[in-house]
Amino acid sequence: MKGLAPLFLGIFGTFAFSWVGLTVIPNWQIGYLNPQSDEEGTDIYPMPQSGMVTRGARVYAANGCVYCHSEQVRAEYTGADIERKWGVRRSAPRDYIFERPVLLGKMRMGQDLANIGARAPKEEESPSPTGGASPGPQGAAVSSGAVASAMAASPPPSAGSPSPASLAAATAPAASPGSPAPKALESPAAAASPSSPLPGGTVAAGPGTGVASPSPAAAAKASPAASPATPPSPAGPPWPEQTAGLPPMYSAAWHHVHLYSPRSINLDSNMPSYRFLYQARRISDARSADALQLTSSDAPPEGWEIVPTYDAKCLVAYMMALNQSHPLKEVKSAGAPAAASPAASPSPAPGGQPPK
Amino acid sequence: MNPAGIPLKEPSVSAAAGDTGQLERAVIDASTRVPVLIFYTSAVAWLILGTLLAGFVSFKLHTPDLLSDISFLTWGRVRPAHMNVMVYGWASMAGMGTAIWLMARLCRTVLRYPLLLVAGAGFWNLGVLLGVGGILLGDSTGYQWLEFPSYAAIVLFVAYTLVASWAVLVFRFRRGEQIYITQWYLLGAFLWFPWLYAAGQLMLFVVPVQGVLQAAVGWWYANNLLFLWFGAIGLGTAYYMIPKVIGRPVYSYHLATIGFWSYALFSSWTGMQRLVDGPFPAWMVTASIAATILTLIPVATVGLNHHMTMQGYFPLMRYSPTLRFTVFGAMSYTVFSLVGVLISLRSVARYVNFTQTSIAYSHLGLYAFFTMVIFGSMYYIVPRLIGREWRYGSLIKLHFWASAYGIGLMTLMLLAGGLLQGTSMENPSLAFSENVESVLPYLRGRSLSGILLTVSHFIFAYHFGLMLFGLGRKSTVPTFLNPVEAEGAEVAH
Repeated sequence: MKGLAPLFLGIFGTFAFSWVGLTVIPNWQIGYLNPQSDEEGTDIYPMPQSGMVTRGARVYAANGCVYCHSEQVRAEYTGADIERKWGVRRSAPRDYIFERPVLLGKMRMGQDLANIGARAPKEEESPSPTGGASPGPQGAAVSSGAVASAMAASPPPSAGSPSPASLAAATAPAASPGSPAPKALESPAAAASPSSPLPGGTVAAGPGTGVASPSPAAAAKASPAASPATPPSPAGPPWPEQTAGLPPMYSAAWHHVHLYSPRSINLDSNMPSYRFLYQARRISDARSADALQLTSSDAPPEGWEIVPTYDAKCLVAYMMALNQSHPLKEVKSAGAPAAASPAASPSPAPGGQPPK
Repeated sequence: MNPAGIPLKEPSVSAAAGDTGQLERAVIDASTRVPVLIFYTSAVAWLILGTLLAGFVSFKLHTPDLLSDISFLTWGRVRPAHMNVMVYGWASMAGMGTAIWLMARLCRTVLRYPLLLVAGAGFWNLGVLLGVGGILLGDSTGYQWLEFPSYAAIVLFVAYTLVASWAVLVFRFRRGEQIYITQWYLLGAFLWFPWLYAAGQLMLFVVPVQGVLQAAVGWWYANNLLFLWFGAIGLGTAYYMIPKVIGRPVYSYHLATIGFWSYALFSSWTGMQRLVDGPFPAWMVTASIAATILTLIPVATVGLNHHMTMQGYFPLMRYSPTLRFTVFGAMSYTVFSLVGVLISLRSVARYVNFTQTSIAYSHLGLYAFFTMVIFGSMYYIVPRLIGREWRYGSLIKLHFWASAYGIGLMTLMLLAGGLLQGTSMENPSLAFSENVESVLPYLRGRSLSGILLTVSHFIFAYHFGLMLFGLGRKSTVPTFLNPVEAEGAEVAH
C-alpha cells in the first residue's frame, strides 16, 4: 500500500463508522428515556434509587457479584427465564434508566437477580415503617416453617397474612442464636422488647432488615445442619428451597444469612460466603435487631452476635430494590399477567422500592 | 532487501556477515534493546502474577469456601484482577513490546526518543498496579474489561499517549516507500486504542450514557479491544514472523489488503452479539451478528494468505520455535473466529448465553491466538536484543506443548461445560442448582488445564530470566526445537 493518507483515513473511517453506529445512534434512540407514568402521574416507574441502593450497587460491583449473576430477563421465546420465575416479563431498556452501573451480567453461575426484590415476601416491601410490627406476634404460625415456605414461594395475596415481621416482635432480647430459647418465642412480652423497635435511621433497613432478622424463634426449630425440611411449593421458585429455621426466602434477613453462609441455606450452593461484610461483636446488653439468625454450625459463640456492616445492609437494600415486575407499555407481560403480577399492582410506590 | 534473514540458515543478529542489510538490522535491533526489554520484562512479571491469580480463580469457582473470608481474596475481586492483569499487564505490554520492535524494524530507523517509551512503560506499570490494587481493595467499577478505577485509567491513558506518540514519531522517520502489511495493522492498533479507550471511559464515567447503553458501550469496548487492539497486533505480528522465518514473501499482497480492510470494517461492528436477547433494540444485536458473520471474509483471506505462504514450509515448524508458536496462533485465529460466529447465531446463543462459553471465547482470542503469536515473536526478538540464543530447546518445546495442550483442554472444557450449562438452563424442570452442578466437573477440568498453563508460564519466565541475565547460549545459530540435520548446521543443544 502506498500513500499514507488513504491508510489513515481508512483507519479513522472504519472506526468512526463503528463508534457512531454502535454507540452514538443507539444513544439517540434509547439514551434519553423517561420514567413511565400514567395519566394522573401517580404511577411512576421506575423511580430513582435511594442512597443506600446506589451504594449497594457499588458494593455489588466491587465484589464481583456480576460475574455470576445476571440482571436481565429474556423474553419467553428466547429462553426459559420466565418459566424459571425469574420475572413476569422480559427486561426492557426503561427498567434500567436510573441504574449506574448497569450490571446486566454475562454469566449465570447463580440465578438471575433482575427480580430478586419482587420475589421477597410481600410484607418486606410494606412502605409503612410501622407496618412490619403492627400485626402482632404470631410466633406459633411462623415457627412451623411451612408457612414461611408458602409465603416465600408464592406472593401472598394480601398483607394480612401471618407476617414474618412478627418474628421481630417475638424476639427475646437476650436470646442468642447459639442457644435459642424456644420459650422466648411465645413470650408476649417480647413484642415490646427493646430490640424490636426499629431504628429507622437507615432507609431501606427499616422494614427490610429489621423485620425478620432476629428470629431465634425459627432457629430454635432448625435441625442442626441445613436440611430442606419443607417441600417447596410446586409453584415456587425451584432454587434454593426454603429451609426450616431460616427467615422467609428472599427476605432481607434471608439475604444476610445467605451472604454470610450460603451453604447453610443450600448445600449445593456454589456461592462464596461474604463474611467480610459482617462483623462479630459481643452482645452488650441486648441482642441487636439486625443480628443474623444462624444455624448451629455458623452461629457465633455464646454472648456474641453477627451483625451486617453498613455495606452489607446497602447490598441487601440494593437486592431488595431489584424489581422489574411493574408493567411497561412497551413490553408484553408474559403468561397470565393478571395472576402473575400482584406484586406489580399499580401501587403508588412500586413494590421493592423501599421508602425514599 | 531480500529475505536473507532466514534464521534457520543464517542468524541475522550476527553483524559479522558483512551484508549491509544485516548490519542495519543489527543496529536497529540494538537501539530497541532497552525499551523493548522493559516492556517484555514487565509483561512476563504480570504474566506470572496473572497466572497465579487465574489458578486461584479457577479453583475457587468449584471450591467456594477457599479463603473466602478475606475481602481482597474474594472470588468476585480476584477474577477481575486476574483478567485485568492479563489484558493490561501481560497482553498489552508484551504486545506493545513486539509492536515497538516491529515498528522500528519496518520503518528501518533506529529507535529515537527511547525515553518516551521508558516513561510509557513506567506509567503503564503504575497504572496496572494501581488498577489491580484498586480492584482488590474494592474499587472495581463493575464494567467488564473496564474495572480499573478512574485514577488507574488516567495513568494508563497517559502511559498510552507516550507510547502512541512515539509510534507516530517513528513513523515519520521511516525510510523506504513501501508500507508493509504489518505496519497497517500496527498503525491501526496504535490509533484505534486511544479512541476506543477514551470513548469507553468518557461514555461510562465522565458523561455516562443512560441505562443499558452502559452495557452496550462496555461490550463494544471489550470486543473492539479484543479485535482492534490485540487482534490487530497479533495479526500484524503473524504477517511479519511467518514470511520472515521461512524466508519467503507473503503469498498475496492483494489478499492482505482485502483482509485488512474487511477486518477493520467488520470486526469493529461486533460486540453487541454478546448482548443477544437482552434489553436492547433488536437491530443492534442483529447488526453485530451480521458483522460477526462477515468477519469470515477477513478470516478466510488472512487464513488463506498465511496458508499459501506456508505452503511447502510446514515442516519448518519442527525446528523454529517462532514459527511453531506463530502458526499455532494464526490457526487459532481462525478457530476463534469460527467459534465466535457459531455462538453469535441466535439459535445457538439461546443455549450458550450466560454460560462458560464466553470465557472459552475470550481465552481462545486472548490466549490461543494472541498470546501464542506474542510468545512466538518473543522467541524471535529477545535473542536479537540480547545477543544470546535461548539456552534450552527442550524448555521451549515444553513451553509450547504445555501451552497448546493447556489452552486446548481449557477451551474444550469450557465449551462443553458451557453448552451443558446452557441446555440445562433452558430446561426449567431442572432445578437451577442442578444446572450449576452439571458444569462443576468441567470447571475442575479447566483447573487441570490451568495447571498445565501455569507450568508453561513458569518455564517461559525462567527461560526468559536466563536470557535477561545473559545466560543464553553464545552462538551464531538460533536455538531449534529439534536438531537440524538437513542444513548440516551445528546441532542446537
